[in-house]
Amino acid sequence: MNRLSIAALALSLVVGGAARADSVIILNSDEASYSILSRSARAEVVRLPVGREPHHLILSPDGKDILIGSTATNELLVLDSKTGERKRVVKDILDPYHLAFSPDGKWFVTAAYRLDHVDIYHADGFRLAGRIFIDGLPSHMAFDTESKTVFVTLQQSGRVAAFDLATQTLKWNMPVGNAPAGIVMLPDDKRLLVALTGEDRIVTVDPKDGSVKGSLQTGKGAHNFWPKGDGRHYFLSNRVEGTVSLIDTKDEPRVVASVRIPGGPDCMDITPDGRELWVTQRFLRRVAIVDIDTMKVVGSVPVGKSPHGVYMMKSTATVTAGAGLPVRAASTAGDPK
Amino acid sequence: MRDLIDFWVGIQAWLFETLVSPVLFHFGLMAWYEPGYSAVEFVMLGVVQIAVIAVGMRYFERRWPLEKAGPDDGLIMVDRVYTVLNKLGVIPLAIFILTYPLVQEIELAVRSWGYSPPRLERLLPWIGDNALASFLVYFVLYDFAAYWLHRGQHAFGWWWALHSLHHSQRRMTVWTDDRNHVIDDLIVTLGLVLFAQLVGVQPGEYVVILMVGRLIESWSHANVDMSFGWLGERLLVGPRFHRLHHALSTPAERHVQDHNFAPVFPIWDILFGTAIYDGKTRPTGVDDAAVDADNGRGWIAQQVTVFGRFVLALVPKFRRRASVR
Repeated sequence: MNRLSIAALALSLVVGGAARADSVIILNSDEASYSILSRSARAEVVRLPVGREPHHLILSPDGKDILIGSTATNELLVLDSKTGERKRVVKDILDPYHLAFSPDGKWFVTAAYRLDHVDIYHADGFRLAGRIFIDGLPSHMAFDTESKTVFVTLQQSGRVAAFDLATQTLKWNMPVGNAPAGIVMLPDDKRLLVALTGEDRIVTVDPKDGSVKGSLQTGKGAHNFWPKGDGRHYFLSNRVEGTVSLIDTKDEPRVVASVRIPGGPDCMDITPDGRELWVTQRFLRRVAIVDIDTMKVVGSVPVGKSPHGVYMMKSTATVTAGAGLPVRAASTAGDPK
Repeated sequence: MRDLIDFWVGIQAWLFETLVSPVLFHFGLMAWYEPGYSAVEFVMLGVVQIAVIAVGMRYFERRWPLEKAGPDDGLIMVDRVYTVLNKLGVIPLAIFILTYPLVQEIELAVRSWGYSPPRLERLLPWIGDNALASFLVYFVLYDFAAYWLHRGQHAFGWWWALHSLHHSQRRMTVWTDDRNHVIDDLIVTLGLVLFAQLVGVQPGEYVVILMVGRLIESWSHANVDMSFGWLGERLLVGPRFHRLHHALSTPAERHVQDHNFAPVFPIWDILFGTAIYDGKTRPTGVDDAAVDADNGRGWIAQQVTVFGRFVLALVPKFRRRASVR
């Protein structure tokens, strides 16, 4: 794509104040900005400012808003999910490093990575229901399908904690391995997969009591999950090794494919047609594009410094919550930062 | 431009993934993963700075020297050691390890109270959309803080005991800027980092500000007979302006070093009445024989001796306080 075409795209976005269904949003965590990319052109069309240290973003339960967590300024920037236009800022959300809505859309939970607490809000109006202080760098989270429990990984302490959403109390807090990061609930609602960034494996955890039931070697720095969308396969980024593994979770989890993605691969999302996986490369200031059928890198798009969260805009933005299909934008995993 | 960025981050990523990341992973130090990557960039920037000084700035010193070669030329060697230790991150790393927990605690305490930095973008939304404007505004603010910290170095006896090492050099060159005691560096760094937190400088921007600022400061110490012109000398600190700050005080000019403090922008000296523009050439150094003796010492001896001066400057105050009680 030539520069003229990119300029025309950029102009159309700016004039229209809009991102399109064709757009991808990338959070440049180390330069206080987000990039809007054109998926078809595989190019950045505009870069816009946002708070400080934006890491993750999420779609609201009604599918109308995209929320970007600006961690160092304690606020959320709200974008229109269809147009990308800025709508408002939600203040006093302390250190919204990782953020997610429960599958029923009633709860909004943030993991304050630097401030060591988990906040549980009523999603309606972002009213704080409870703040739970817990040591160990809370980072990623997953829910059970009934929206009763949120599971949070604690990277520093090597544990996973489970909190009751209704009462905002701790249910259990169990050791799982070194530097647990990404966490996902499988469709059977009976297994949690937890990526161990301080090791080269993931573990299977029982959501009832936090006991470790199994282990699978993947790659050094196993970090973050993203579902393929069939309720069975999950992508996993291995930050230290610089690979993305494809894991089949039917029966015992096993690695069925992998692709080399240098530069500390982190968050992921899939194009609406299910053909491409877009992966942020934190160190290279790029986003890698992987053809899912062949598991080969087919493109690379330059973005800003330390790209982290990625969000694929879709023509019909809806919440795809439920077991196995994580709350939208839960790809916005954490980092071992 | 993008090719240059790819080249730069390609080297940075390769160095990190080859040398640093495996060590952090092996020793279970993944909490330092992202800071480790930034540290690699810091070292790379240091190499660039040393190259700019050694090749670019030294060219001007050789071509248009203000002070000709003389018996004091040997005194420059220790300043080169300071520059290498500072630019390659040895000293900054030690300072970072010491200050990081403290800065973290302060930042987290402030944020947990619900306070977040009063970002200028809220007052001046247009700077948020303009990377260059944003950089310049924060650069000016940063320099403002550095100006007042520098005045503090001259105003307090205990701080001058440390900072006098920087002024003791009789042969001022592009290498002189980094000639500081590590405790002095630590205090200034802590002050600037806290200020950066206060005004909300983005970490990525802070590194660039630091690099550009330090390069300009290295240049302001250059032994060159050059001027930016009447206007230029009032917009940017140059060697002539800063040389007066290092001038050897005389009975006629006892407080000459209490002028021209600004690190980068002379506007602060102009605004606060500490600027002198007279075009005179003066010898540099200090009129204190004990401090001047720093010149005969190596890096370790200077650090030990100056630490002694620092302690002595502090002790009388402790004694006075004890007697009051």
